[in-house]
Amino acid sequence: MPKRDWLGLKHDLPPRRRFVLALCSFLLPLALWCAISYVPWLWHPLVHVTAPGDVDYFVEDMDVPRADFDAELEKVQAAGGTLPEGYRINPLYLPPPHRVARAFYTAFTTEPRLPNEPWLHESLAHSLRTIFWGFVISSIFGVPLGILCGTYRFFSRLQEPFIEFFRYLPAPAFGALCVAILGIDDGPKIAIIFIGTFFQQVLVISNTVRKVDPGLIEAAQTLGARGWKLLRRVVIPASVSDIYTDMRILLGWAWTYLIVAEVVGTMSGITYFINQQARYRNFDNVYAAIFMIGIIGFTTDLLLAWIGRVIFPWKRRSAAASGKGSLLGRIFNSRPKPAKAVEA
Amino acid sequence: MSAALDYRNLSPEVAARFERIRQRPVILSVRGLKKTYGVNGSTRTVFDGVSIDIRRREFITVIGPSGCGKSTFIRIIAGLDECSGGVALLDGREIGEPGPDRGMVFQGYTLFPWLTVKRNVMFGIEMRGKDKFTAESEARQWLDMVGLSKFEESYPHELSGGMKQRVAIARALANEPRILIMDEPFGALDAQTRAQMQSYLLQIWKKVDITVLFITHDLEEAAYLSDRIMVMGTNPGRIVEVIENPIPRPRSTAQFVSPEYLALKLRLEELIHPPIDVEEDKLPVVKLTKAGDDVE
Repeated sequence: MPKRDWLGLKHDLPPRRRFVLALCSFLLPLALWCAISYVPWLWHPLVHVTAPGDVDYFVEDMDVPRADFDAELEKVQAAGGTLPEGYRINPLYLPPPHRVARAFYTAFTTEPRLPNEPWLHESLAHSLRTIFWGFVISSIFGVPLGILCGTYRFFSRLQEPFIEFFRYLPAPAFGALCVAILGIDDGPKIAIIFIGTFFQQVLVISNTVRKVDPGLIEAAQTLGARGWKLLRRVVIPASVSDIYTDMRILLGWAWTYLIVAEVVGTMSGITYFINQQARYRNFDNVYAAIFMIGIIGFTTDLLLAWIGRVIFPWKRRSAAASGKGSLLGRIFNSRPKPAKAVEA
Repeated sequence: MSAALDYRNLSPEVAARFERIRQRPVILSVRGLKKTYGVNGSTRTVFDGVSIDIRRREFITVIGPSGCGKSTFIRIIAGLDECSGGVALLDGREIGEPGPDRGMVFQGYTLFPWLTVKRNVMFGIEMRGKDKFTAESEARQWLDMVGLSKFEESYPHELSGGMKQRVAIARALANEPRILIMDEPFGALDAQTRAQMQSYLLQIWKKVDITVLFITHDLEEAAYLSDRIMVMGTNPGRIVEVIENPIPRPRSTAQFVSPEYLALKLRLEELIHPPIDVEEDKLPVVKLTKAGDDVE
């Protein structure tokens, strides 16, 4: 076999290279961040004053723009006074990687400043609870309705035009209304996630169900299946694994609504934590919290993808072959493919 | 053309066989079947005046150029499409919705990918209201018959194309239909597998009391499998001729050089591929650059 090119068009790369590239996709941005943080002549637009010298308004531990520092330095030099000293740093809002890494631990161990403020783990739990209920309530109504709309033209014509319209109404716009109706606690937050998820969910799922191979339905009909049995024994099993994939994508959308939902009413959850920390100018904690959302989302998806492969064994090969399936499935695609049976 | 090469000349055994078939009861009776559909206000006729009686345990192949409506014809018989006129009677009752009395094998693989091979075959049996235990033992028998018992716990995607179609046949037969409708079932298979499948099908047909209505566009397949060949034509779609297959049974590939086979094939070629009236002189002359002069 000829040696395959790294940049070959269209053909997939061997697993080892895929893994290396997946690793690089994380390492490259990290390397860039490290470079900007640790290489002093890259960017570093401020000067951290260690000794004010004869500049009147400089104080120790003060950050001044480099141009200002240089100008003052020249002035003092010309006047022959004590020179101010300092070193170049980045702005506070771009902490170096090691401080963010440390914040992953310290953010959990730091006691809240105010007595009624939640700890970080409490904030996270609150966020997870909100998203869980929003998504579950949406799914309880959205999944069956989506399946009905995808299966029967009647429901599709009856429901979809309105849903199509409603999904253009931005969920955050309902914030004030939700607070008025549901109070200032978790009710309106769950409602926002519901509004943001539900309408997309119905449309996405009905679309998936509509894509069920008509050949399968016809085959089932010629085998005597009809009505409810056709729905339960053919339409639903034929689409359930794709619905599952849809749900994973929708869960990702629900996360984006979480941040909006949490500022509605009393600010809560991880958004509250991020806001407070930004107010205290603990930007390392802010970054850590944002990355935590990413990590939770990413690992949830990884977990769901793995569960999907376990509960839908017939999808294993087709998903790998068509390159569909989760992002993670594609990145860490190392599962063994079942051997193809030979002609008996 | 000598008399021996006339496809209508049946040998005494073959003639006797057709005589016996004519004694059998009619399973499927089609009278003046018609299918039209509207396109932008005008009606297009897919086919019209299709009439045929198919008798018990007969093997009928339907052959015709694309566009003659042969697929639509059997989809109507299966109940998947509605006809626009005429009647089709199965055991004297007008056919309606798709049902287990008309088994169907499609060209595309329509096994349920989420079910194992065994559960696929059990599907129809369970739909008829039999309990799981009965369904399972019946499904096993049918899988035995198509020689796939070893694969009963496999999923369809683990099987080759030919094996999938064998499961599809087992699944259709498990419903004990009155008629087995096959829509170019081996069309997607490679030539070798197709030949193998044809011989499998004849073996199964010999063992099971089943009437087969088989669509194909392959002349050799039609000649090899059928008792009678229903040839359809286009514009409008109609039956051109119903040919009694002169090749004696049991069939084998050795017969592919027999006079009966050649006569039949010649006739089918005539019916299906009418001479194309393109005169060579009328084709545009394209002058090739350079090489053109010394190329004949």
